Amino acid sequence: MDFSIVVSEFASLFLDGIVVGAIYALVALGYTLVYGVLRLINFAHSEIFMLGTFACLGVTMLLGYTGYEEPIGIGLFLVTFILITVVAAVASGSAAMLLEVVAYRRLRRKGANRLSSLISAIGASFFLVELFRLLTDSKDWDFPRLLDKNSLFEVSSAYVTADKLVVLIGAFGLMFALDRIIQGTRLGRGIRAVSQDEKTAVLMGVDVDKVIAFTFLLGGVLAGVASAFYMLFYEATKFNVGFLLGISAFTAAVLGGIGNIRGALAGSFALGLIQQFSSAILGYNWRDVVTFLILVLVLLFKPTGLFGEAIQRARV
Amino acid sequence: MSDRLLEVRNLTMQFGGVTALSEVNLHVSKGEIAALIGPNGAGKTTVFNVTTGYYTPSSGEVLLNNESIIGLKPHKIARKGLARTFQNVRLFGDMTTLENVMTGADSRNKVGLIGSMFGTAQSRRDEESSHLKAAELLNFMGISHRGGQLARNLPYGDQRRLEIARALALEPKVLLLDEPAAGFNPQEKVELGELIKKIRDAGFAVLLIEHDMSLVMKISDRVSVLDFGQKIAEGTPSEVQNNQRVIDAYLGVADHAS
Amino acid sequence: MSTSKISIPKFNLRDKFGDWWEGTTRNQRIIFRVLLIAFFYILPFLDNPVFGTTESDFSSVLFYPMGMYVLMAIGLNIVVGKSGILDLGYVAFFAIGAYTHAILGLSFGFNFWVNVVLGMAFAMFAGVLLGLPALRLRGDYLAIITLGFGEIVRIVAINVNFTGGAAGLAGIPAPPSIFGVEFLVDDPRPYYWLVLTLTLLVIWAYMRLIKRRPGRAWEAIREDEDVAEFMGIATTKYKLWAFVLGGAIGGGAGAVYASQVTSIVPELFDLNVSIMILACVVFGGMGNLWGVAFGAALLGYFPEKLRFLSDTRILFFGLLMVVMMNIRPDGIIPRKKREKVYDKNTGKEVSR
Repeated sequence: MDFSIVVSEFASLFLDGIVVGAIYALVALGYTLVYGVLRLINFAHSEIFMLGTFACLGVTMLLGYTGYEEPIGIGLFLVTFILITVVAAVASGSAAMLLEVVAYRRLRRKGANRLSSLISAIGASFFLVELFRLLTDSKDWDFPRLLDKNSLFEVSSAYVTADKLVVLIGAFGLMFALDRIIQGTRLGRGIRAVSQDEKTAVLMGVDVDKVIAFTFLLGGVLAGVASAFYMLFYEATKFNVGFLLGISAFTAAVLGGIGNIRGALAGSFALGLIQQFSSAILGYNWRDVVTFLILVLVLLFKPTGLFGEAIQRARV
Repeated sequence: MSDRLLEVRNLTMQFGGVTALSEVNLHVSKGEIAALIGPNGAGKTTVFNVTTGYYTPSSGEVLLNNESIIGLKPHKIARKGLARTFQNVRLFGDMTTLENVMTGADSRNKVGLIGSMFGTAQSRRDEESSHLKAAELLNFMGISHRGGQLARNLPYGDQRRLEIARALALEPKVLLLDEPAAGFNPQEKVELGELIKKIRDAGFAVLLIEHDMSLVMKISDRVSVLDFGQKIAEGTPSEVQNNQRVIDAYLGVADHAS
Repeated sequence: MSTSKISIPKFNLRDKFGDWWEGTTRNQRIIFRVLLIAFFYILPFLDNPVFGTTESDFSSVLFYPMGMYVLMAIGLNIVVGKSGILDLGYVAFFAIGAYTHAILGLSFGFNFWVNVVLGMAFAMFAGVLLGLPALRLRGDYLAIITLGFGEIVRIVAINVNFTGGAAGLAGIPAPPSIFGVEFLVDDPRPYYWLVLTLTLLVIWAYMRLIKRRPGRAWEAIREDEDVAEFMGIATTKYKLWAFVLGGAIGGGAGAVYASQVTSIVPELFDLNVSIMILACVVFGGMGNLWGVAFGAALLGYFPEKLRFLSDTRILFFGLLMVVMMNIRPDGIIPRKKREKVYDKNTGKEVSR
């Protein structure tokens, strides 16, 4: 265990922590939004993300990038990247909506217990993972480096590169946009209403089916954008990339308080930082164990998370 | 005083910023039918939830047979002799009628998992005793013929009876009934009233929450009235019926700020 | 109060069997049971082109996946099916049992049977350790935590020395011969018979629990946990017991498995195994022993028989779970009981 590295590499670890945290945040929002309206964990959300990464890959392949070319200029990069992001967002968003219809909607209509919904979600998740495993031949797939990743400037030990800036700016921009949607649009208000009190929302004329579909769409779109950022930063994907990222994002959502949007953001950045620092100290192999342990500890000792509301008990 | 089987003293229950119950005093004595009435939202079911251990009160005392039961888990309180039914019938739907009552009767037995697995003599005795007791209770409630049917398939009236039978299987000292007459027609309510009296006569003390005033007035020995979490009156049915504060509470006229 | 009568033709197998069973005498039932059990013991000799599996040797398949799936599905059924606790990390118990026999057998030369018992004990201990804090949580969170537990066990096995790390352990000892039957490396049949015998024992113990107080308590907990508590059932205790018993069965199965395969690696004990066993329980009929056993046998058998299923096993299982939950959540042999309806006045049984 090497603690000195924390001091010497602090800025670098910190920067990477918030970059990773930003990616987690976009995925965590998907979990938290769906939990808010359904009171259910969307187990298959991680696969929606994974699907997005392959959508990104598909675009670059269609555009003819092989990964061996020189990094392209900033202008061309931005156009290309926006295209990639949009395609991924559409792919993930539609997949999420389809998922809701296939795996959740019927059970919701029937008033089935949550065990059934959970099992259905798990089945969907595994189906998707296996599907992509077979389609992608279980291989790692590389993403071409489109952007020059040389350090733009340095802050202490941190090398600030263009991709990290893109991720940070993009993620924050998206969070701001999401906030506007939730506060300002009719469907956004619908989400808040259903999250607080579904029965009353129905009485007030809210179309719950539409709201739920929209929630899944939002979550999917966010995951799609996250997948683009992920590909830009990590430059590789695999059929099972969803699993670990999903667990991290979910842990982040729980850490912040599931159902609470601000909590999801706070939790994500906190987790990103914790992961970076603990990896530096304990070594990379223990990163996932640390994440699981945080999840377990939070659920056992402070299930409401840092900011969240109390988990509902059955009303007698 | 010592024949007060259930006693609630200065019970206060707060949820976050909301005070659901404030300094409530209630009691049920042996051989009596006590009623708890009040407008919707007055806190009546909350009283049940606190006394049965689902919530821990913010302050106050709950005594069952002169023994404090605050902080005990619901199943322990049930075993000490406090059984209840629910506002919306909550049976074990996929279990048969007989099995539902047996779950209550089981709680009076001692045998545990190991005993059951190895089929000890004790486990066989317990099994028989649960079976017998359940059958007797079904008979008492008039639903023996439903014994083999799934609880979810019973008609509403029989479901309510089953719920009461299941609670009685715990051999409680005090039986808490939460709106037992909800959804009944007048004839059924009369039958229910007779049934409750029969239960009282069999030695159980009963505390019931009810909205049907005629039923309450007919069978209760004593009535307590709750409004906004506070007890505003207590007495015989006729005393309470003529109490101005009670009338105002139900009509919503009174100034509740005082 | 909806009973889904739509879409699937009513599977009257259960009712027809039930009718016949009730008409039998005690002796007839004994004979039936003996014949049925004998059939299962003879099964390895029935290897023919019709029955036989294409992918691997039939006897081997009978042991794994069929035998193992059935045994573990029965164990998981107690947890998920009967008590309603969604456990996504069941493979952890399997791993603990396997590694117990591997490590104690290899390093200390402990006897196989001692290791089976110890494997079960360690698994039960792990169940208590995990269950005590986790079972207080609500369904979704409990599921995630159990999943995390399963993963942690696997990751620890990879990273720690005495489990052999990522390379695992090899040369695991076989069970000692029983009544002259030797447990050899190339003959899976004794192992199958061993699993079969253990399964029968488990079923015997299970039936006793289910028909009595524990069974009712578990069902009550699954139906409505809060109300079960109000009816005097110590829900935490019973949930823990379900969890621990399920774990014990998983641990025992693991030890037997390790003895047959003779070498284990952490990858063998991954999330997919937990999901496959869960799929068996879901498919077979949650809470119903026969359904679960039958379902597990089918799900173990068909991927071995049909080549295209073999590679896409998990794809199929995942899809199966979604489909089952949506169309037939009670499984192929549902746990709904047979009802007896009596006439109120005459007391005679009325036909359904």
